[in-house]
Amino acid sequence: MVQVSSMKEDAVTSGHGSGGRLTQKLTERILSRFETEGFEMEDCAFLDKGGNDADIAVTMDGFTVSPQDFPGGDIGKLAVCGSSNDLAVRGVEPRWLTLSLIIEEGLEFSLLDRYMESAARTAKEGNIRLIAGDTKVVPHGMADKIFIAACAMGKKMSSRTLQTSNLRQGDVLILSTSPGRHGAALAAARFNIAAPGLTSDCALLWPSLKPLMALDGLRCMRDCTRGGLGTVLCEWAEGASLGVELVETNLPANRETNAICDILGFDPLYLASEGCAVVAVAPEQAEGCLDLLRQNSISRDAAVIGRIVADHPRMVGMKTRIGGMRCVDMPVGEILPRIC
Amino acid sequence: MPESDLKAPREGPANIEALRGKLSEYLECAGRPLTFMEVCGTHTVAIFRSGLRSLLPEGLRVLSGPGCPVCVTDQSEIDMALSLAKRDCVVLTYGDMLRVPGSSGSLLKMKGEGAAVEVVTSAIQSMEIARKNPEREVVFLGVGFETTAPATAVTLQQARRNGLDNFSVLCLHKTVPAALSALCSNPDLRIDGFILPGHVTVVTGLDEYAFLTKKLRRAAAVAGFEPEEILACMTDLARQVAERDFRLSVWRLKDVPIEGNPAARRILSEVFEPCDARWRGLGVIAGSGCRIAEPYGEFDAVRKFGLDPAEDVVDNGCRCGEVLSGLISPPECELFGRVCTPLAPVGPCMVSSEGTCGAWYRYHQ
Repeated sequence: MVQVSSMKEDAVTSGHGSGGRLTQKLTERILSRFETEGFEMEDCAFLDKGGNDADIAVTMDGFTVSPQDFPGGDIGKLAVCGSSNDLAVRGVEPRWLTLSLIIEEGLEFSLLDRYMESAARTAKEGNIRLIAGDTKVVPHGMADKIFIAACAMGKKMSSRTLQTSNLRQGDVLILSTSPGRHGAALAAARFNIAAPGLTSDCALLWPSLKPLMALDGLRCMRDCTRGGLGTVLCEWAEGASLGVELVETNLPANRETNAICDILGFDPLYLASEGCAVVAVAPEQAEGCLDLLRQNSISRDAAVIGRIVADHPRMVGMKTRIGGMRCVDMPVGEILPRIC
Repeated sequence: MPESDLKAPREGPANIEALRGKLSEYLECAGRPLTFMEVCGTHTVAIFRSGLRSLLPEGLRVLSGPGCPVCVTDQSEIDMALSLAKRDCVVLTYGDMLRVPGSSGSLLKMKGEGAAVEVVTSAIQSMEIARKNPEREVVFLGVGFETTAPATAVTLQQARRNGLDNFSVLCLHKTVPAALSALCSNPDLRIDGFILPGHVTVVTGLDEYAFLTKKLRRAAAVAGFEPEEILACMTDLARQVAERDFRLSVWRLKDVPIEGNPAARRILSEVFEPCDARWRGLGVIAGSGCRIAEPYGEFDAVRKFGLDPAEDVVDNGCRCGEVLSGLISPPECELFGRVCTPLAPVGPCMVSSEGTCGAWYRYHQ
């Protein structure tokens, strides 16, 4: 007798933290317990639904990165950038921050000081004020040195709301920099692979995205964090019931990221970025958008990477370097290095 | 003198259209639909990821073979690894082995439950971990073909030199030519040509595959992992069939030495000895496995922990064996995409990043 048994889910796995399909299922499971009607549940929430320019937006994020120090940043800088960027991509200027620190007993003060100095420096750069916080110390072994939860708040800088439902057929997709640098830098550090020149792209996005607020054709933006660019675009395609068509040769590329991906069998499309945004804009304003982005050093490699199409709704297709087409789907589970 | 025709496409992307044209011409000359098999999982992913499949002419069917080490690792072998994790050993493995189901879950599940299971990217790294944790028994899962086996062999040499007594290897390495030979003995198999993996050939040399063209009169060619190389390889396979001129050729931008890597083969023959190995879905293939040889016996986890590879008897409806043999393509399996998905894989072909079913599911919608 044939016994059909697949690997049933009876507990949370590391795959649920990957940012891909399993994370989507996890958040749906949690949200199903709550009353969320009236909120889009995108990167941040607007508290005043009246739609005036002074709308306050809020977001919440947790940081458990390992290792805590990585080329191009550390957990302190990441906490400020990661939480603030969720506001920036919705057209909100980050202004205020609260931090909650879960500290493992035994953490050296020198490390704690360094991470907090890094967070403070980044906040100062972005003109963001720390206004509240909390600390908890847990027994040794119950945390990995330090976990940070960050709540960022800010003011909406446009009368329009940037959201997935704005997407229209023909919209042009622009990527602000090469995808996957944060994930590649962490993978290199985690798996002890020397990667000279590879640094995380961890950065505050607001300075480079703020000028785009002047574009009335700006539809939607997203930072490509966990799950990477591929996951964001899948979410857009599914959320807007439209198709996405990418052009592989247009994607900004980073040689060091690609080298790490080759070694480990990863696809940069699915690796996390922490200073990279994908922007959807009306076709007639694509050139202008590109020019504005390229004026800022963190987005000087910005490029048109594809467009929103009516074909293959809810799916992301990519025209490949050799002229073929392939499907880009959300990653499932934790991304693991391959054998050979 | 080994038969070979060393040449590689050096012109890059512009070549694609010309190659497609030639491939169609040769298919027409052959006068019937052709079926090729890419043996290696890395080829499977390269073909999907590059969109090459969408460019292939009608009349050419490309199947995936048994060349993904994760897919062919038998359930009984995973069960041995699980039993080591249960005994409080530190189990070190290459990443994509974590998700492969044994009869009672996977290494990933055990890791989630607190077992000491960690991912390494090299065998030598596992020895370093053993050295830093002298109070723990550290076991490395030696998995893979000729590409990863030399690294395991070198690690065993160093472990012996350093007198490490808390380190051992669960050796599950397998060899590609033996599997191909077994596949070809299946009378139901209708494969006209084989796309052979470049990185394996770098170690084995070309002679190991001469039986395909000389004895079995099948087309065979070695390809690297760039889509241009794979397409050039397919074109030459079609040419071999059309002209009935079966000569092993190489389509790789980096040259493949005809003799392979003698140093690597020497180390392999010193540290391992051939043994019969159980392949998931394919059964036992004589002489296709690597057993740790007597001089290194103290590092053999099977002997050290008295492991007993139980027979794989669970029939879960998964047709991985037929997929790996090229007898069916993934959607022909009743479970594919319904019961068996990357979120809830039934068989290893859906688990691995290089597994045939997983690649079909991800890239072929």
